[in-house]
Parts: sequence; structure tokens; C-alpha cells
Amino acid sequence: MKHPPLNLRVSRTFSFVQGMSRRRSIRLTTEGTRFLLFTFGIGLAAINTGNNLFYLLLAMMLSLIVISGLLSEYCLRRLEFHRHVPDLIMANEPTTLTLSVTNRNRHLSSFSLRLLDVVEGQDVDRGLSIHLLPPQSSVLLSYPLLATKRGWIRFQGIRAYTLFPFGLFLKKGLYSTEAHLLVSPPIRPLTLRFVDELVSEGQGQSLPQRGHGTQLYNLRLYQPGDDSRAIHWMTTARTSQLIVRETEAEDQRRITVVLSIVAPEECAPLFERSVTFVASLLWQLTERAYPVRLIIGTEDSGLGSGSAHLLAMLRLLALCERQPPETNGVGHHGAHPPLTHEAERGYTVAVVPWSDQAAPTNMEQADRVLHATQLEELTHAF
Amino acid sequence: MPFDQAFALSSVFLAATAFTGLVLAQSVPLWLALPTAIILTISLLHAGGIHFVRQAMARVTVSPTLWNVLLIGALAILLIDLTVVSRDLLPAGIHFLVMLLAIKLLTLQQRRDYRHLYGISLMAILASAALTTDAWYVPIFLLYMLAAVWTLLLYHLTQETGETPAAVTPASTAAGQPTFPSRITHHFFWLTNGIAVLTVALTLAIFFLIPRIGAGMLQKTSGEALRTTGFSDRVDLGTIGSVKQDPQIVMRVELPDQPAIEKDRLYLRGLAYDQYNGRSWSHSGTRRRSLSLVADGTFLARPAGSRPLGSRSGTIRQDILLETLDTAVLFAVPFAELVSGEFLTVQADAMGGLHLPFPPSSRIRYSVTSQVPQLVENERTASVLAYPDSIRSHYLQVPLESQHVAELAHRVIQQATTPFGQTLAIQQHLLDNYRYSLEGDTATLSHPLEEFLFTRKTGYCEHYATAMVVMLRTVGIPARLVTGFLATEWNEYGGYFTVRQRDAHAWVEVYFPQSGWVTMDPTPSVSAAVTTSRWESLSRLGESVRLQWDRLFVRYSAKDQLAVVHGVREGSDALRERVRRWVSSLSAPISQVFSRLTHVARTFQPGMLELVTGVIVVGLALFLLMLRDRIGLWATTHLPTAHPELAIVQLYTRMLRTVERHGVSKPPAATASEFARLVEQEWKAAGPMVADVTALYHQGRFGRNPLTPGELSRAAEQVGRLQSLPHAAR
Repeated sequence: MKHPPLNLRVSRTFSFVQGMSRRRSIRLTTEGTRFLLFTFGIGLAAINTGNNLFYLLLAMMLSLIVISGLLSEYCLRRLEFHRHVPDLIMANEPTTLTLSVTNRNRHLSSFSLRLLDVVEGQDVDRGLSIHLLPPQSSVLLSYPLLATKRGWIRFQGIRAYTLFPFGLFLKKGLYSTEAHLLVSPPIRPLTLRFVDELVSEGQGQSLPQRGHGTQLYNLRLYQPGDDSRAIHWMTTARTSQLIVRETEAEDQRRITVVLSIVAPEECAPLFERSVTFVASLLWQLTERAYPVRLIIGTEDSGLGSGSAHLLAMLRLLALCERQPPETNGVGHHGAHPPLTHEAERGYTVAVVPWSDQAAPTNMEQADRVLHATQLEELTHAF
Repeated sequence: MPFDQAFALSSVFLAATAFTGLVLAQSVPLWLALPTAIILTISLLHAGGIHFVRQAMARVTVSPTLWNVLLIGALAILLIDLTVVSRDLLPAGIHFLVMLLAIKLLTLQQRRDYRHLYGISLMAILASAALTTDAWYVPIFLLYMLAAVWTLLLYHLTQETGETPAAVTPASTAAGQPTFPSRITHHFFWLTNGIAVLTVALTLAIFFLIPRIGAGMLQKTSGEALRTTGFSDRVDLGTIGSVKQDPQIVMRVELPDQPAIEKDRLYLRGLAYDQYNGRSWSHSGTRRRSLSLVADGTFLARPAGSRPLGSRSGTIRQDILLETLDTAVLFAVPFAELVSGEFLTVQADAMGGLHLPFPPSSRIRYSVTSQVPQLVENERTASVLAYPDSIRSHYLQVPLESQHVAELAHRVIQQATTPFGQTLAIQQHLLDNYRYSLEGDTATLSHPLEEFLFTRKTGYCEHYATAMVVMLRTVGIPARLVTGFLATEWNEYGGYFTVRQRDAHAWVEVYFPQSGWVTMDPTPSVSAAVTTSRWESLSRLGESVRLQWDRLFVRYSAKDQLAVVHGVREGSDALRERVRRWVSSLSAPISQVFSRLTHVARTFQPGMLELVTGVIVVGLALFLLMLRDRIGLWATTHLPTAHPELAIVQLYTRMLRTVERHGVSKPPAATASEFARLVEQEWKAAGPMVADVTALYHQGRFGRNPLTPGELSRAAEQVGRLQSLPHAAR
């Protein structure tokens, strides 16, 4: 339906006013309420008596109110906020976030600023305050953040408020500083016996891989940064090109961790603990330098090792979502990845917080399946 | 000074200002004012950090019970005051307020106590506003406002700094976070005073703009009426002498249409008297007529149907601010033609005296237009004048025992041949042979006039005027005595006459058939009246301030607001008209030249007009192109930008372009410093400017602190100089 132009204009004006009111708001403080009551009383006295000196006092009170509004507006005007957030943090681990505040006013300082974090539409007080921010200057504030659950945290903006100059009004301003922070599941200590057992079960399913060792793995062209001791001089002499020698890593075992994301509502706590368990297991295995692969639903991290690969897997874990089981069994295929006997997969550990007895899944093909009971036992201390 | 100390000091100062207001309004008795003043002084010294006062106060510990007892005591005093002593709510309430103020000053500990103190101070300044309209309120109000701004600001800031725990202080500061000063710094001092000045300016603006919708029903009168003498129905000879030393101001008179040169003295007529019984003057007729209203608030003082004096006289318009007097007489320069003011009715007696129905209860402002009579030429020389019977019957009366006076009068006029000459002779005789003196009370004498003329030969205006009237009447010339004021104190700052009680005066009006009543004054002028000392000058300045205060603030009304609106509208109309004329006067020759050019162009060739227009447009474009550097430079430093740190980058780029135009290009691999050295070698004259701009560029681009506006201006100035360097300078 086409709106008539007038309606359109009115609705635009309304949305503009609404937007402005969202960005700026003003509230009376207790002192401000008393001050207004006094002003009202003096105004009444002035009208009743016609005494011009009462009008003068009334004008003084009104001018203090106006000055209050003007100066508080100047305190909040032309402030710029820049937020610096890390790519990934862990739940229940304190992290330091930084916020840069710049006063772009040419001449006027900003006073008595209190800053609130606007997260998911809610104002969160981090105890940030700036008493004085001179014109054309910046300040870098840092504050600790403790995320309690995995997933995205959406920082929408910063709400700054001030009581300057007289504490009569609380003026707030909203500044958009959109930022997203990914929170991975927390890392918990696992029993060493369990990890050792898992590792020993996976012995023998190794794949030649570059690393520290004595056996020749590969010969390749020298690249800047390579250790000069690794130059294979015979081949270099023969080919007239600098060739380096790569060795095969010793004791490399591949482990694939598969997480089932199908779980009913009542199993949600166990599912979350399972996610934490998987994250902790992956961390342990990475610490021991095992090539690890994580499969969650249709998401596959691929085989890899090292901290960068661990972070990629933690990102997958941070974003994975529980899927409720469907009564007709359709859709479980997406939630339960196919476990083929490919060579790369290596030793496979399936983490299944919930399984449907009536409709068995391919998880059973894994080398080691951790069911709800075992998971309860392993994660009860989390 | 630490914030806390400044906060305590400003709070006590606020209370002290409000208390001073009450004391100046004379609403606090001595028994209460003295202890409160002592407590205030101790509190100020304590807040000011005087060591021994702090020590002494620290030793004194008083239980809260005592304060409660004091409060109950104050309440009891209020009740007694209300029912027995003052028997009025306002004075009793003010006494209670002052007691509360003193008690609160002694118990100032928590922030709540400070809030209470502010409330009491506000009530006190409000009460003093209710009790006075005097100009001393101006400095008190300004001080109160200054103290209020300081106090409110410090109250908020001390609360802020007190509330902020150490844990939430920013953990790290990249740009070196400036911490809020814990002491009053130079910057803070001027910032707060700047806010106070801004508040004062805004207060004045709001005061003048706020609509006056008050009925003024409860408005206080301006105090007790001044007692005057000489303006009742009967005046004893010698009564004016009692007020001749009184400096109290009776009225202020402005002459908006008169040049300054004529403002040496001004007779302000009150009442005239025609009957003298040897000891006192009185009116023969008591009938008064109401003046007819000719316009809104304007009354015609001349009897309806009578003709104005016209060309024989001059017109004087007076704006008079009359203090509260105990008489209903309106004063004006003789003779009033039109009277305008906020009056319902104005009355006039048979001898031209103006009266209100009753004495006004507060100051009144009114305007009078008067026609000053002048003696026509033929009456100066006429040997005989024919007086109407009505005049003869009223204005030739003399007391029975005036035989000696008559003899004296005839002796004085022996040489004079005309009535006017006789009048002058009598006036001159009195001026020459008698001494002005306020000494000696003649009010109790049985023959005061004879005593003055033959025995004492000293007296003041009443004696001189009475003597002249009686002497004129004894020789057959109609005359009457007039009382009023002789204004001689011109206030050059305010542009008005200040009239005091001591300016009360009596003089003579002599009747001439064609000219009417002519004012004559036989009293010698007192030379001591004119003082030009610096103190007097200051006093006149203060007096002028008081008048402005009264006019602009105390008596400011909705009518004045309307007048301001009309004034602004008329002013804007006049301005618009002036601008229009100026533009038309400027554009007329241009359009003439242009039309002539157009005509010439068309005469020569049909396409010439387009050609000329094209040339002008191209010329303008070239002109702008030539000035583009200057315009760009100005825009870089003057126009507001969202990224001020980029200004130096823009200036540097501009500098590069300028240098490049002179043939020195920046190699891509060269750093800014290397390029500056290159310019130094290649183009010596530009070297220092390029080096300076490069240094500022480094500072602004890579330094921690952004460039100040002064440094940016310096950079712009250097680039400007670079642009103005001639090619030959290379």
C-alpha cells in the first residue's frame, strides 16, 4: 500500500524524533526535583505578588536549569568512542577490554562522565568514569570482562551520562560502537588417566607429518627464514638451487573428536558440559601436539595442530547449537555427521550427550563413544 | 585551595550573603543579628582553614540532644514572636529563619546539613526580596548568584570525587588521562566564574522576557511615606525651614526633550496660596475639578475650552518618578498642560495645583507636558495694566497690619514707572538687602513678615516670597505664593534632576493680563548648593544606578515588555528601510552603468552582451582560481571538521603542491625531513617555512598530543607565506 506523502513525512519525523530521544535522554535527580519544586514555589510567589525581585530570583533559578542543560549537552557532544575487543575469549576467564574515548570539542572539556556498556540492549555498569577530558584529547580505559556463557556477545554501544555541572539533571547520550566478541566454552581440567588412555588407544594410527625427527620427510626449495643447517648440500650442488631437508615428525597420532548436537531440552545442561568437555579435551590434545580434527554436525575443522587450529576449533564449539531431536527421526543426519573410514580420520572419539535408542546413529562406528552416563561422570566437577 | 575547603567556604559564603540581605532589609533585630553574625564569622574562618579556629572548634563537642533542644527553643521563640512580640507572620518567620541558619551553621557536618543550609539561604534571599526594593539588593543578588554557582558546582564535584572508588579508576591511560584537580586551579576558577557570568546574562534575559502575569495584589508598598511640609491647605510661615536640611530624595525628574544647557535649575510647582493672614497662607477656594481624559492615561490639565499659551511660551516635557509622600499633590514645571500616568483620575484646583484623589502608597511615575509662560513685550513697558475683577478680588488681599510693609513697598517702587518695573524693583530690593539664612524660627512669632523685613533682615524662601507677594499686593499688583521644589542637582550620569526634601521652595507668581501668571523668585541663590567633589560625583553615580534599578527591575511591567517589543519592531523596520535605501543607492549607479553598457553592446553587435557576460564569468572564475590557495588555507584552519588532526596533513599536502609548482617535487622515497632538507638546498627562501611546517606535521601526525589551534594557525601562516613567495626568489 502506498502511503500518502504527508503520512510519510510525519512518520519520518516521528522516527527522527524517536531516534534522537533514544540517543539523548534527560532525567531529574533528587536534588533536581527539589530545585524544581523551589523554582515552582518562587514562580507562584512571583505571580501572586507581582514582585519583580521574585521574578528576578525565578529567572536565576530558570537560568541555572538552562545552563545545566547546555553544559551537560556540551559535555556529551562530539565524544568519540572506539572499542578494542579480542577475537575470541573463553567463558569464565577474565579478559581485559579497552575503550578509547576522544573529546572532539575544540574548546570545552568534558566533565564527570560515567560510561555504561550497552550489551544486547541492556546497560551494564563496568564502573568506568572520566572526571575530566580536555578538548581534543583522548583517554584509553580498560576494564575486566567475565563472560559466563559461550557464543557471541554483541556490544551495541556506549551510553555516557553526566551530572555536570550542578547535579540537577542526569543527561545520557548513546554512542554506537558496534562490536562482536566470540566466547568459547571454558577449558576445564580433565583426568590425566582418561587422556592417557585415549592417547594410548590411538597409537599406531599415525600419518607421516612434517616435524621434529630424524627421518627424511621431504626436500624443498629454501625459503627466507629457514634454518641454514637444514640445507641439503648434495642436492643443492646437484640442482644449483638451495634445497632444504624436512624431517618427519616422530610419534604423530591423529585424533578426531565428533560432537553430537542432538539433545532434548532437558539435556541442555549436559550438552553444555559436553561442549566444555570437548573444548578441554581438544586443548589437552593440542598441548600434547597431536593432530586433531573436530566435527560438529556439518562443520568440520579439518585435521591440524597448534594453537591457531585450536582457536579455529574453539570457534566452532563457541557457535555450535543444540538441536532438539525430531520425532520422525528426520534431520538427525545433519546433526550426526557421517563417520566414514577415511584414512585421515584416525582415531575417532564420539561425544554423544543424548542418543535415541530407537534410532541408532552412525556415531556407534567411532573408536570410542562417550555416552551420557560417561559424560556425566567425566563432567560432574565442571 | 582543596575542593572540600572551597566547598565549605562557598556554602558558608552563600548563607552569609543571604543573611546580609536580611540585615540590610532591616528585618533582623540586633539581639539576633549580632550572634548570627558572630557564628557566620566563625564558620567562615573555620571553612577558610584558619588554624586556631579549627583547633578550637575541634575541642568543642556538643551532643545532638543539645541541637534538638536549640531547635525546640527556636520553635518556642517563633511562637512567642508570632503571638506576643511581632504579631506578624513575616517578621516572626524571618527571625525563625535566621535562628535556623545559625543552628545549621554550627552543625554543618553531613551533606544533608549543607542541603538544608542551601534551602534556608534561598528562603532568606527570597524574604529579603519581599522586604525591599532598594538598589543594595543588586550586589547582594549578584554575590548570591556567584556563590550559588560555586556551591552547586562544588557540591556536585565533591560528591563525584567522593563516590568514585579507586577500583574503577581507569586502569591504563594511553594518552595520559588528565586527572581531575583536587584543588581549585586557575582554569577551574575562571571556568566557574565564566559559568556565573553566563548565568547572570541568562538571568537578565529571562527576567526581561518572562511574561508578567502577576496581578500584584500582594505587592508590598515601598515603605513609610516621606513627610513633607508646605503642601497642605494652610501653611504657616517658617514651616519649610524644618526640612531645608533634609537630604532625602523626593523625586527624580528627567527632561527628555531639553538640551543639557538649560538644566541648571527647574521650578517644580506644587500648590499656590492666595490668602495671607499675617502668619499663614491658605486657599480661598477648595473646589477641585477632575481633569478630562484625552487619551489612554493622559489627562488635559488646562481647563477645557481655554486656549493654550502657544507661541508665547516654551514646552517642557518631564518624566517624574515621585517617591512615596504623605501628600496627594503632583508636582510639575508650571504650567501643566498634559499629565499622563497610571492614574484613574487627576484633579486640579483653581490655582492650577494638581492632585490625586489620595496620597499614593508606592512610588509613582508620571509624565507632564508644561507650557512655560513668558512675559509679552508690551506688558514690560505698559505703565498701567487692567486686571480682571476676579483677579483683583482674590490676589490683592493683604493682612490689616501691613501698613509698614506698604510704606516700604511704596518707597521701593518710587523710581519704577511700570508694573513690571515695580515688580522687578521689589524683587531686587529683597535680593539686595536681605540675607538668606535658615537660622531663627519665625513660626511662633506673631508678625513674622515684619520681623523679617524690619528687624532680623534674614530669612529663607518663604519669608522672601511672602514679603514680595504682600509688597506687590500693597502697590496693586496681583500676586500669589507658590510652594514646590527648586531642582538644582543635575545627575549627569542618569540625565535627570534629583530633588530632595531640602529643595523645598517657595516663590512668587505675578499676574499680567496678557501673559498670565509669571514666575518670579526673590530668594537669593545659595552658592554652597553646588558641590563638585569626587565624593558627590560618586554619590550621583550611585543615585543614577538606583534610579535605573528602580526603572528596569523594580518597576518593570508587562507594559514595558510591550514597549520593548514595539521598540524592537520599529527598530527593525527602520533598519530594514535604511538597508533598502542603502542597497538601492548603491545599486542605482551600478544598474545605470550596466544598462548603459548593455545598450552600447547591443548598439555595436547583437551578440556583444553574451560576450561581455561570458568575459565577466570567466574573469570571476579566474579570480577564484587565483585565490583558491588562500580560500583553501582559510577553510583548513577555520571551518569545523570531524577530524581536526587531519588539518595539518591537509596543510602539509598544500605545502607540497605549492613547492611543486615552483619546481621542487618530493621524490616518493624521500621522508618528510629529507624533503625539507632538499627544499633548503633547492630553494633557500622557502627553506625555513618548509622546515617549520614539516616539524609541525611530524608533531601533529606522529606526536602524542594533537596540535593546538595556535600551532595550526602558525602552519597555515607559513604555507600562506610560501604561496606568496615570488618565483624569482628561488
